[in-house]
Amino acid sequence: MSFFRSKQMKYYSLVIPRESAWVVMDQLGRLGQLHMIDYDPLIPMMNRPFANYVKRCDEALFKLIGIESLLKQFKKNLIHCEDTQKLLDHFRDIQNSRQKPGHTYFDELEQVIEKKKNHIQEMSNNLQNLLDRVDSITEQKLVLEKAKEFLGKSMFSQSIPHYLNDYQQLKFGQLIGVIDKEDETRFKRIMFRITKGNAWVNIVDLLPEKQHHQIKTSIDLNRAQQPRCLYVVVYPGMNDQSTLKQKLLKVCDSFAKNRIEYPNSQEAMDNKLRELSIQINEALNLIQMTKKQLDVTLDEFVKEQNGCNCSYFEQLRLYVLKEKYLYVNLNYLLMQGSIFTGQFWLPEGLEAQVEDKLRNAMQNSIDRFPTGQIQQIQPKPGDLAPTYFNLNEVTMPFQEIVNTYGVPRYQEVNPGLFTVITFPFLFGVMFADIAHGFLLLLCGLYVIFWKKQLKRQTDSMFNAMIPFRYLLALMGLFAFYNGLIYNDYLSISLNLFGSCYYPKHEEWEREQNCVYPFGIDPVWLASGSSLNFMNSYKMKLSVILGVTHMLFGILMKGANTLYFRNYLDFFCEFIPQLLFMACTFGWMDFLIMMKWLNVYPNGKDPSIIETMINQVLKPMEESATPVFPNNAPLQLTLTQWLTVIALVSIPWMLLPKPLILSLSHKKHRVSDPQQQKLIPEKQGSEDIDSYQFRKDLQFAISSKSVEISEQEHDSGEIWVHQMIETIEFVLGGISNTASYLRLWALSLAHGQLAEVFYDMCIAGKIDMGGIVGGLMGGYFYIVFALLTFGVLMMMDVMECFLHALRLHWVEFQSKFYKADGYLFVGYSYNKVLSEHLK
Amino acid sequence: MDLCVFGVDDGYAEAIIRGLRASFLTEAQYQQMKNCASIPELKSFLEETDYQNCLQADNPQIPTSILRQRLKKKLADEFEYIEAQSTGTLTKYLFHLRCRFMIDNVVNMIEGLKNKIDIEILLSNIDPLGWFPEIKNIKVLEGDDYSSLYRDVLIDTPIGVYFMKFLEESIENLHENRTLNDIQNLFREMKPEYIRTSLKKMWLEDFYLFCEQELMPTSQEALLELLKFEADFKTIQVIYNSIGNRDLNTAAKIITTRKQLCPTIGNLYPDCEKMYLQAMTLDALREAVKGCDNYRDLLKDAPDPLKREEFNVQTKTLDDIMYDDECRRYALAFDGQGSYGVFYSYLKLKEQEIRNIIWLAEMISRKLAKNHPGWKKIIIPFSHLGK
Repeated sequence: MSFFRSKQMKYYSLVIPRESAWVVMDQLGRLGQLHMIDYDPLIPMMNRPFANYVKRCDEALFKLIGIESLLKQFKKNLIHCEDTQKLLDHFRDIQNSRQKPGHTYFDELEQVIEKKKNHIQEMSNNLQNLLDRVDSITEQKLVLEKAKEFLGKSMFSQSIPHYLNDYQQLKFGQLIGVIDKEDETRFKRIMFRITKGNAWVNIVDLLPEKQHHQIKTSIDLNRAQQPRCLYVVVYPGMNDQSTLKQKLLKVCDSFAKNRIEYPNSQEAMDNKLRELSIQINEALNLIQMTKKQLDVTLDEFVKEQNGCNCSYFEQLRLYVLKEKYLYVNLNYLLMQGSIFTGQFWLPEGLEAQVEDKLRNAMQNSIDRFPTGQIQQIQPKPGDLAPTYFNLNEVTMPFQEIVNTYGVPRYQEVNPGLFTVITFPFLFGVMFADIAHGFLLLLCGLYVIFWKKQLKRQTDSMFNAMIPFRYLLALMGLFAFYNGLIYNDYLSISLNLFGSCYYPKHEEWEREQNCVYPFGIDPVWLASGSSLNFMNSYKMKLSVILGVTHMLFGILMKGANTLYFRNYLDFFCEFIPQLLFMACTFGWMDFLIMMKWLNVYPNGKDPSIIETMINQVLKPMEESATPVFPNNAPLQLTLTQWLTVIALVSIPWMLLPKPLILSLSHKKHRVSDPQQQKLIPEKQGSEDIDSYQFRKDLQFAISSKSVEISEQEHDSGEIWVHQMIETIEFVLGGISNTASYLRLWALSLAHGQLAEVFYDMCIAGKIDMGGIVGGLMGGYFYIVFALLTFGVLMMMDVMECFLHALRLHWVEFQSKFYKADGYLFVGYSYNKVLSEHLK
Repeated sequence: MDLCVFGVDDGYAEAIIRGLRASFLTEAQYQQMKNCASIPELKSFLEETDYQNCLQADNPQIPTSILRQRLKKKLADEFEYIEAQSTGTLTKYLFHLRCRFMIDNVVNMIEGLKNKIDIEILLSNIDPLGWFPEIKNIKVLEGDDYSSLYRDVLIDTPIGVYFMKFLEESIENLHENRTLNDIQNLFREMKPEYIRTSLKKMWLEDFYLFCEQELMPTSQEALLELLKFEADFKTIQVIYNSIGNRDLNTAAKIITTRKQLCPTIGNLYPDCEKMYLQAMTLDALREAVKGCDNYRDLLKDAPDPLKREEFNVQTKTLDDIMYDDECRRYALAFDGQGSYGVFYSYLKLKEQEIRNIIWLAEMISRKLAKNHPGWKKIIIPFSHLGK
C-alpha cells in the first residue's frame, strides 16, 4: 500500500569511525535508500570537514571540462555511458583490485588528471604558438612583398633627386608596419596631425593568407583573426634624430603592432624573403609533429575502457562526480573527534540491508577498521519524515501532477493513487469523442510500444512524450469510452445497435419496450432538440460526477483523521462536512437519478432546480410536481429533515473545535510542569547517552512548543481559522459543484467545434455533388484534417488537460489534502550518475 | 506621463539592472569575508558569490591589484552589456557615465608617463569601464606638452571637449602678456591631480546640463538631486583639502584655485559661494555650508585638515563620511522606479562594493588583528535601507 500512503520511515542515527567513513558511505551510496539529514543546515558548506575534498573534486571537474573542450576542438567523439549500474560495478572492481584504501583512488585520478591536463595544455599552447609564428612570418613576408609593390625600386636609394627648384636635395624616410584594421582611420588622422599633412600615408588591407589553410582547418583552434592592414608612411627628412621621426616612431609603436625594417637593397630584400620561407617550412613541420603527439594523447581519453562501455574520459568524469557526491553527503555528518555521527531516514524494512552493507563494508579492504553502526532513534519532535513512494513508469506522471501542487504530508492519503484513474476519466468526459479519443489512444500506444526506438531519436517530438506515455494512452482510452457514451463520432452519431425509433408521419415513433443498450440513441442527434437534450444530460452527469468526486475527497479526510487518530477533526470536521455535502448536493444527485428513473405524466415533469430552491424558500409547502411520483408528502418530510441536518452541520463545523482546543489549551498551561516530567519516561530504554538525549529532547520540545502555542493555541487565531475554513467549505460546496459544470461546458465546446468543422468542410461539399463537389471535397478534407489536428487534437487536448488538472487540484484536493510534506531524496549513486549522463 | 512610456525603450535595460541587484554582497557575506584568514580563502569565498566566473582562472594567491582589475572587468562587462541593450537617450546617458572613468584613465596615464612607469603596466592598470581606443596613444605625450597631446590624440576622444576647455581656461588665467615660456611653466607645475579635479568638474557640469536638457522629468528629478549632492561633495572636498595646503601659500591663490575647481552647480552654488571660497578653517567651512541640507552634520565628525599629519588608519576621514552618505542616497535612488537614476546608482554602488572587497583584501593580506578598527571601515551598499 505504499502508494496509498507514503512508506513508513524510520529514523536512525549513524556512527562511523573516521577511518572507514569513505568505505561506509561508498557502500551506502550503492544501496541508495538513505535520506541523509544535514545536522545543521545553517553551517555554510565551506566550513565543513570535507569542504576541501568537494573543492578538489570541483577543480578536477573544471580541468576535465577544459580537456573536454579540447577534445571537441579536435573532433574526438566520446562514447557516452548508458548503464550506471555497470559503471558502478566497474568502479568496484577497480577498487577491489587496488588493495589500497578506497578514497586514495581519487587522489590518484586527481594527479592523473592534473598531469594530463597540463600535458595537453602545454601541447596545445605549443601548437597555438607555432601557428601564431607561422602567421606572423607569413604576414611579414606579405608585408615586404606588398611594400615592394608600393615603393618600387626607388626606396632602396633612400633619396629622391628633386630638382624642381634648386633647393637642397629632399630626402625621405619611411615607416612600414602592420596595424589593426579598426585603427586605420585613427592612424591616418594622427599621422596627419603630427606631420601637419606633410606625409604620404598609404594603408592597404592584408588579406588572410590562403597558403596554410589546410593545416588550419584540420586543427582549427579558436583563432579568430582580426583583419589587419599594412601601412606605409613616407615622410620628409632622413635624419634619425629629427623630432618628427622620433614622434612618428612613438605613434607607430603606440599602435602596438610590429613595425618592419625595410631592407635597403634589392639583394637584402631577396635574402630576407628566402629566409622567411625557410622559417615557415620549419614551423610547419613542427606543427605536424605536435599535432600527431597531441592526437595520441587525446585518443587515450576517447578509448573505450573494458567493462563499462564508455570512454576513459567519461569514466573519469563520472567517478569524480560520484566522489564529490559522496563528500557532499559526508559533510552532512557531524564530526566529533575521530567519529562521524549523523541521522538519516530509512524506509521501513530496509534495516537489515543497511546493516548487511555495513558489515561487509570492510571485507575487501586490507586493514580492518571497525565499520559504522546504525541505531534506530526517536526523531526530534516536529521533524516529519520525508514522503517516499515506490513509483513506476505508470504512476510517475500522476504523482508528478500531484507533487506539482504540493508534496503529500508524510503518511497522508496520497491523491496520486486516485488521480491515476480520475484524471484521465475527467479528461475523457470533456474530450469525449470516439474518433479523437481513439487517435489519442493510438498516439499513446505508439509511444508505449515503440519506446525503445523513439528514445534513440533525440530530436523526435515523441521523445518528449515518453515519460507521459501511459497518461496519454489512458486519456485517449477514457475519451474514447466517453465518446461512446455520448455517441459522438466527429459530431456524427453512430447507429451501432439499431435505433429504437422509426420514422412515422414525419415524426419519430418509439418502439415499445425498446432500450438502446449503450450510450445515446443516434436519433436524438437527428432530432431538432438534440442540443437541449444533450446539454441537460451532460450537465446532470457532470454534477453527479462532481459531487461523487467531492464526497470521495471528504471520505479521504475521514480516513486521514482516523489514521492519525485525530478524533477531534473526525467528529467536528469530517462528519458535519460529510453530512452537509450529502444532504444538499448528494440529495440533489439523488433527485436527478430519481427523475431519470421515473416516467411522469405530461405537464407533471418536475424541475430539479425549482425543487432545490423551494426546499429553502417554501419549506412547508408540498411540491406541485413532486419528483417522487405521487408521493409529495414523503418528499416533503425528507426535504425538511435534510435541510435541518444541513443547517445544523454548519455551526457544528464552526463551533466545537475551537471551543475544545481553547479549553484544552487552558488546561495545558496549568499542567506545564507535568509535561516536563514526561520527558524521561519517553526516553525509555534508549542506550544513547541519556543526559545528552534529554537535553536534545527538551530543547526540541521547548522550541517546538513555542511554535505550537503560537500556531494552534492562540485562541483568537483558531477562531478566525475555523471561521475561514467553515465559510470556505460551505460556499465551496456550492461553487465547487458549479465548477464541475466545466465537464459539460468543455464537452459542449468540443462537440460544437467538431460539428462546425464537419459541416463547413465535409458536409457542405458532399451536398454539392458532381465532379466539382468531389474535387472541393478532396481539398476541404485537407483543411478539415488540419483543423481537427491543430484545434481539436492539440489545443483542445491542452485545454481539457488543464481543466482536469484544476478539478483535481482545487475541487478534489481541497477537501482533504494538506500537501506540506517534502520528498524523500535518496543518497544514491545511481541517481546522481544518471542525472549526469549525457 | 513619462512613467507610462519609460518601459518602451528602457524597460529591458532597467530590468537587467534590477536583476543585477541580487548580485550585491549581503552583510552576512561581508561578515564571512572578514573571517577569511588569507587571500586564497577570500578568493574561494568570492568564487561562491556572483564574482565566480571572473576569478576562476586565476591563481589562488591573487595580488590585490589583479583582483581589483578582475572585479572591475566584471562590472565593465555588465555595463557594456546594458549599454549594448540601450537605445537613444539612454545610450547617450550611459556613455556620459563612462566619461568619468575615461578622465581617470587619461590622468592616470599622464601621471604614470611623467613618473616614467612602463607603458605596459599602465595599460594593464586602466579601468576597463573607461577604456577607449586612443588611450594607448597617450604614449605620445612629451614632457608636459598637454596642448600637443590634445591636438594629436585627445581631440577625437569623448573627453577631448573637456580637455580643450581645461587648456583654454588654464591659459586664460595667466596674465595678459603671456609668453610661450609662461605656458610651459604652467604645465610643468601643474599636478595631475589638479587636471583630474578640473576635468571632472567640467564633466560633472556637462553631465548635469545633459540631464537637465535631455532626460524625462522622473529621471531628472532623481538624477539632478544626486548630481547636486555630488557637486557639493566635490566642492566641500576641494575646500577641505585646500585648507592648510602647503602648495597654496597665499590667500588669493587659494581662492582662485578654489574657484577653478569648485563646480558651478549644486545646492551650495551660488548662494554659499562667497562664504566657502573664503573659508580658511574647518569651522569656517562648517559655517559656510550650514544653510544646505545636512552638510553641517556630515562635517561635524570630520577631522581637522590642519592636523593632517596625525591621521592614521583609524581616522574616519572626510571621504569615508561622504562615501557613507553617498551610499545611502544611491541605495535610495536605486529603488526609484522609472528613472535613469538606477543606472547611475548601480555603478556607484558596485564601485563601492569593489572598494570594500579590495579594502578587506588589503586588510587580510596585511594580517591585521581582528579588532583593528580598519575592519569596520567598509560601507555596505543597501545596509542603510534596513534601518
